[in-house]
Amino acid sequence: MNGTALVRTDGLSAGYRRGEPAISDVTFSAPSGQAVALLGPNGGGKTTLFRALMGQLPASSGVAEIAGRAAYVPQTERSRLDFPVNALDVALMGTYALTPWYRRTGRRERAIAESALVRVGLESSMRAAYGALSGGQRQRVLIARALAQDAEVLLLDEPLSGVDRASEERVLAVLDELTDEGRTLLVATHDIHQARRFDRVLCINGRQVAFGTPGEALTDEVLQATYGGELVVLEGGARAVAIQHHAHP
Amino acid sequence: MSFITDPFALEFMRLALVEVLLLAVPAGLLGAHVVLRGLAFFTHGVGSATFPGLVLAGPVGLPAQLSALGAALIFAGGVERVSRSTRMAYDAATALMLVAALGLGVVLASDVFESGAGVDQLLFGTLIGLSADDVALTAVAVGLGVAGWAVFDRAWLAAGFDAATAPSLGLRVVLADWVLVVVIAASVVAALDAIGALLVSAILVLPAATVRLGAPSVRALQAGAFALAALEGGFGLLVAYQLDVPAGPAIAVVAGTVFAAAALTRALARRAPTGRRRKVAVL
Amino acid sequence: MIDALTEPFGQGIAQRALLEVVVLGAACGPLGTWVLLYRQSYAAESIAHAMLPGLVIAALAGVPLALGAAGGVLVAAAGVALAARGHRVGADAGVAVTITALFGAGVLLALTPAAPARLGELLFGDLLGVTLTDLVIAAGLVLVVALALAVAHRPLALAAFDPAAAPGLGARPGRVELALLALLGLTVVAAVQALGNLLVVALLIAPAAAAQRLVGRLWPALLLSALLAALAGAGGLYLSHYLDLAAGASVALVAVLEFAATLPLGARVSGARAIGGSPIEGLGRAR
Repeated sequence: MNGTALVRTDGLSAGYRRGEPAISDVTFSAPSGQAVALLGPNGGGKTTLFRALMGQLPASSGVAEIAGRAAYVPQTERSRLDFPVNALDVALMGTYALTPWYRRTGRRERAIAESALVRVGLESSMRAAYGALSGGQRQRVLIARALAQDAEVLLLDEPLSGVDRASEERVLAVLDELTDEGRTLLVATHDIHQARRFDRVLCINGRQVAFGTPGEALTDEVLQATYGGELVVLEGGARAVAIQHHAHP
Repeated sequence: MSFITDPFALEFMRLALVEVLLLAVPAGLLGAHVVLRGLAFFTHGVGSATFPGLVLAGPVGLPAQLSALGAALIFAGGVERVSRSTRMAYDAATALMLVAALGLGVVLASDVFESGAGVDQLLFGTLIGLSADDVALTAVAVGLGVAGWAVFDRAWLAAGFDAATAPSLGLRVVLADWVLVVVIAASVVAALDAIGALLVSAILVLPAATVRLGAPSVRALQAGAFALAALEGGFGLLVAYQLDVPAGPAIAVVAGTVFAAAALTRALARRAPTGRRRKVAVL
Repeated sequence: MIDALTEPFGQGIAQRALLEVVVLGAACGPLGTWVLLYRQSYAAESIAHAMLPGLVIAALAGVPLALGAAGGVLVAAAGVALAARGHRVGADAGVAVTITALFGAGVLLALTPAAPARLGELLFGDLLGVTLTDLVIAAGLVLVVALALAVAHRPLALAAFDPAAAPGLGARPGRVELALLALLGLTVVAAVQALGNLLVVALLIAPAAAAQRLVGRLWPALLLSALLAALAGAGGLYLSHYLDLAAGASVALVAVLEFAATLPLGARVSGARAIGGSPIEGLGRAR
């Protein structure tokens, strides 16, 4: 956890229509090797922040910067399960931008994609049809695609939703390895308990509610402000978010 | 054997064969994306929507293929505009633009200009009416398609898999997809004279839809659809020759029959999994 | 003013044409509303072509042509519904396969020496050649369509809104879709001889699309689409009379203009489009 910030926003506001930003005044930064949990309710602006960081949505004010190669890892249900690709084909997509158009993807690109799949523990499923994999395996294929992009910064959109327990552990282990290599992760999640595992937590609900270590950020007041009525406090002090998941349009 | 070779000793049959083999190239390379991205109605629509362009060609003094392509591109842009600005489903927007184009074509054809000659050929295609120039133009359109494929196939593939994230892979998806629309339109126009406006799907959609039943990858789908389109096209020409009918309907019937057989085989194979299970049990 | 309105319809031919489009419009509008909701515009646009093989076979076998035409479209309806179930090929490629093959077969059959000439022209129709029989058929069709849509309203709505939950609520999406396609096919058979395929498609799609943009709920949309379709019929005939244009094409263009008039409303459905703005979001089924 040293050096300058790889991901940084300063007073960032962005939105889809003029005059009503989906996120406003977001200020955070993450250096190399840090994993940041992005916590917030549905419609709270997590995907908007990702799009602004990827440069796909212009900032209406403030700054959003990524110093290095970035990759976006979408939710698995956004990709088509009936599309005729296997795990290797999908991972290979990560090398497309590195390969000039007049060159076919060859042995070198294949090696990159294969080693990315090995990294996420899918060496035995490379030839399996993407649609036939489990939710957790598909998530790991998409992470492999980001690795094949040789990304230093990975933006992961709810990588643990729709993933079974065993795969969840597997995905989290992969994420740990990635930060150990010095990559920076920004991981959108609903799960307050998972958020505690990260180096920093960024809570947003339209605006930035808190940014800091899990201990600093995950206080009752912050969670109340982040989730409002959706937050349910269970007996013994455990907290849960009542509405867990939704499919993006 | 002479049943197959004799007809192709004739000059017009050789031209028709070259034409069909040329069209098999977009049928494979582009047909795969037509099927994967749900562009079958667009492909059909763009063929019919060339009608006002064809009517205008004579009076305006443009080559028929060029004005047909112009009409096809206006149609494509119109569907995209309507669908985007109204958020209506693609099929409704396509049908609306198609009605507008055909209505305009009918008004132009019957009330503004005197025409009507060659309408049958444009609707159903011709076997004997192809000139070397027609085939040469088809080759140009096919070349355009191949060039588009060479540059943008990866972007088409990634966008078909997940359109929303493909730009984050560093691909120029919007440009690539416009190119796809244009090269599909050009291929449809190229297929008009041989296959006919109402039946372009027979060669540009049906082979890819058939191979889609079993293709494990986009590459396999493209290669398979090319091979199948060439075979169906060639066999369709023989049928057309023997029965003395236009090429389009003959190819449509051949391609439809092959699809039905493939779909049936696949359905039966799924219904009767016994063979495979027994194998597993023995192992 | 009154003269300008009544003058075009002084003759029996024109009166019958007016009645025919208004009556058929009343049937096509609501049916088109369902066609749009089930994303079956491609089938609606093409299913008339599937009549051709049926027509020729009927002519060769000496049975009434209408029976052959109905047989053709019912085969097509079954093929389209079947293709929609197989997720691999995709609904619209399924329509392409079904209709292209049937139409190709129809053309081949029509070119056999034994077939009567010019059967294919039945697909084009002539609005100004409407006979009293056509009118009776049209009136009967309106009754059948109205009755069928009223009876099937609940399953249609359930299966269109949420196909996954529909079986639990008592509607099987596969069967409902097949029934809708069959009704569509029969309407096309009854209407195409008088109106031509272009006009039938125009009356099915354009007024329904306009109505859906003007009102947000199902019943008002169904009623408004009937009204707009009838209006397009009458308006088109006036246009045709005063500008001396082809009657069928004029009605089709007026129907499209009704939809075009709703364009300034912008997008009714809110929600962000996928990133990037690829044209294929608008042109194809892919999400």
